Amino acid sequence: MAQINTTLPTAKQRQKHLKKRSLWADAWLRLRKNKSAVVGMIMLATILLVVYTSPLYLDYDNDVVKPNLSQTLKFPAEGKLLGADELGRDVLARILWGGRISITIGIMAMLLSSIIGCTLGALSGYYGGKTDGIIMRSLDVFMAIPSLLLMITLVSVMKPTLTNLIIALAVGSVPSVSRMVRAQVLYIKGQEFIEAIRAQGASDFRIIVMHILPNAISPLISQFVMEIAGLILAISGLSFIGLGVQPPDPEWGAMLSSGREHIRDVWHVTAFPGLALVLTVVSLTLVGDGLRDALDPRMKR
Amino acid sequence: MQKTLLDVKDLTIKFRTDDGVVEAVNKVSLSVQEGETLGIVGETGAGKTTTALGIMGLVDSPPGKIEGGSILLDDTDLLKLGEEAVRKLRGKEISMIFQDPMTSLNPVFTVVEQIAEVIVNHQQLGEKEAEQKAIEMLELVRIPAERAYEYPHQFSGGMKQRVVIAIALACNPRLLIADEPTTALDVTIQAQVLELMKDLKTKSKTSMIMITHDLGVVSEICDKVAIMYAGEIVESGSLEDIFENPLHPYTNGLFGSIPDIDKEVEFLSPIEGLVPDPSDLPSGCKFHPRCKYAQHLCRVEDPSFREYSPGHFTKCFVHEGKLSVKEVKKYE
Amino acid sequence: MSRYILKRLLQMIPIVIGVSVIVFLLLSLSPGDPAKMILGLNAKEEELALMREQLGLNDPIPLQYFHYMKNVLIGDFGTSYSTKQSVIEMIAVRLPPTLILSFGSLLTILIVAIPLGIALAVKQNSPFDNIMRVVSLFFAAMPGFWIGILMIILFSVKLGWLPANGFDKPSAMIMPIICSSIAGWAVNSRITRASMLDVIRQDYIRTARAKGLKESVVIRKHALKNALLPTITSVGMAVGGCFGGSVIMEMLFGINGMGKMMIDALRQKDIPTIMAGVIITAVIIAVANLLTDLAYSYVDPRIRSMYARRRTIRKEVAGNGSN
Repeated sequence: MAQINTTLPTAKQRQKHLKKRSLWADAWLRLRKNKSAVVGMIMLATILLVVYTSPLYLDYDNDVVKPNLSQTLKFPAEGKLLGADELGRDVLARILWGGRISITIGIMAMLLSSIIGCTLGALSGYYGGKTDGIIMRSLDVFMAIPSLLLMITLVSVMKPTLTNLIIALAVGSVPSVSRMVRAQVLYIKGQEFIEAIRAQGASDFRIIVMHILPNAISPLISQFVMEIAGLILAISGLSFIGLGVQPPDPEWGAMLSSGREHIRDVWHVTAFPGLALVLTVVSLTLVGDGLRDALDPRMKR
Repeated sequence: MQKTLLDVKDLTIKFRTDDGVVEAVNKVSLSVQEGETLGIVGETGAGKTTTALGIMGLVDSPPGKIEGGSILLDDTDLLKLGEEAVRKLRGKEISMIFQDPMTSLNPVFTVVEQIAEVIVNHQQLGEKEAEQKAIEMLELVRIPAERAYEYPHQFSGGMKQRVVIAIALACNPRLLIADEPTTALDVTIQAQVLELMKDLKTKSKTSMIMITHDLGVVSEICDKVAIMYAGEIVESGSLEDIFENPLHPYTNGLFGSIPDIDKEVEFLSPIEGLVPDPSDLPSGCKFHPRCKYAQHLCRVEDPSFREYSPGHFTKCFVHEGKLSVKEVKKYE
Repeated sequence: MSRYILKRLLQMIPIVIGVSVIVFLLLSLSPGDPAKMILGLNAKEEELALMREQLGLNDPIPLQYFHYMKNVLIGDFGTSYSTKQSVIEMIAVRLPPTLILSFGSLLTILIVAIPLGIALAVKQNSPFDNIMRVVSLFFAAMPGFWIGILMIILFSVKLGWLPANGFDKPSAMIMPIICSSIAGWAVNSRITRASMLDVIRQDYIRTARAKGLKESVVIRKHALKNALLPTITSVGMAVGGCFGGSVIMEMLFGINGMGKMMIDALRQKDIPTIMAGVIITAVIIAVANLLTDLAYSYVDPRIRSMYARRRTIRKEVAGNGSN
């Protein structure tokens, strides 16, 4: 008896493992065949690598925030590849450091909003009825104002710390994430294998966490990746109007905002931070598109 | 002797896909006399629909391309006419009924609009008169006039197919191509639609090409039959020729695989194997991998399409006397 | 149909109330003393206390909200704490530029994206299509304010063609509208292209061709009407984006619109102005969503009859209930 008990789960596990790996391996194979997704992945990997290793070769006090008035608005040249800003600080160093801040906020906000969104969406989709009504009507309220305006309102009543920024951005994107999750959960809930599992007497919690969410999430992953791009754009927008990352910390939108004062004289202080932003968003979009085609064969044309 | 309306010679249609060139239709020849109905029979993927689209000038290009042959309507070669001239014939001289009525009608226009459109397009009629004529057409296909201003989603499958028939017949075409018009319908509705088509055909004396895989439909409605396999016509002849005296092993196989209540058989004898992949057709006679009579010659050489009795053609080495077997067993 | 519209309008009420409750709570609970904002930092404590009493700030928050909403219902949005003007008068001045900017952007999105999307679908996989694929990828990724800065550098600073500030004359409107719609052009032309390609493959398009219609008629009449449905949805969703995005555009181009008003009011904790701005924005968005749905049902008879069917079903249910 004991032997059976020990062998059974492992056999089951192995089977599960095999199935899982084949799904992901399959997706990976399709992703690798997709040229634009590969370009996106290379771009994104490079950006992440350069940006996240920046503390290793940049010193925050000396390279990022310390004014150097002799270099004010210096054009790109040797030593300062992308030139210097209005306080003589190296634009490249600030772009790299600022990228770490933007991307981190974007990812953290996405994680937070996907945790909340998955919970709300799963409850709403799985239980339906009153639970669904209450959750969806409450989310309607948050959807009634443009998410950027919602974020602006939240950031301005809270102090613009990093945590508060993350919270504000997450709250702004929770309604749409919950809706997407809900739609997926509804679709999967209607499938027969869920009925079969329920017939075996599994608890609701187990059904949602073990069976519905894993199936619901794979088509949503690409949406989540693209949502990160949207959130990075939103942070830079907030910073641009002075409600996001506060000086002297660099952030792409904040750099554009301060560089804007000098557009009559120089272009490099506004061109390069914007370019960094665009390349990041483009790479996330390409990866997101590729993931959608790879993970959701139903969508494939 | 009736006049020949449509004369297709050596029609060849190829598709260029990522997996290579697909020969969807290979040297197909067929003819339809005035007032006559030709049945084209074959399995899914045999190239029946592509042949029909070729005649209509509706082969999607790219990836499809008509590579050769001629399509004579009266004495004009449609393949030599310009795109614009062929367009003017479509819906007026030649009409087509498609397989799936569920998706053949545009969901955002009323049915009367969709019928009137073809009338306005080809006849010198105003919107009002065209609408009147469209309603008459609806009544002709036994749909009450009061439903004319409804949308396709409010109609059942059988009714939608009748609307499609009304569109096809609205300009009194001389040739009607019906591509499996009843396949997507319920069995009871199939009979009604078929009955309607037979009725309309006798009334209007329209020539027809009936594409189907249902030999029952063929026996009810057709005068002549062409059997298609892997993009080629393997046998053609009058209804009697094909039903009473089938020559080709494939034709016999088709008959062997349908139940016959008159005969007591223990098992049906379906044709072994599958329709070949059109991008990777077998050498020689395309049917040889599935043919009971196949010999070495069949693998290396392609038999020619020959006439064995007046109007009865087939394409098989057995009948050319080149094989050790001299006869194809009937219905097996 | 009119019943459906009425129902939708009634559904807006709880949403607007919900929005106002949340924003009112947020503002009331956040730090900052409106009395100090009004009287300035040098005001004496007695004056501040008097002002708080006048504003009703000593009442419990639910009561404050109740008083506020009572006034809103009779059309009184109060007086701005910072400008001392009537809020409704401020909005009367600030709303038009924002509306022109937002709906102007939506209009250009429709005018640019739909024909472009159709052209791309018809010329699928041509060099033009391939170039536009990359261009729109970048356009969709560019923040409007960056495009704005680049356009100001080019058209205002270098060429001197267009003013970089204000919204008082048509030439001043060009850049803000383009900047806030450029991403929309990219996204919606892709959507139109994709749905157009999807529709062109449908059987009913083959039926239309079999009727001998001109290819231009097949595309314009039969394909377009069906292909527009996803675009309508997407443009409808863009209303909120354009409205939110106009906040940043107004800051960049110095436009005295609602967005700039909101930012100023938020900085000074000007509760009546913020509340009015949020409520009016929510109403405008809700109306725009309703219009989107109506446009959708105008194009798609299936949706139209769904509304009708829902109503008859409800009638039947109600009838059974009363029996």
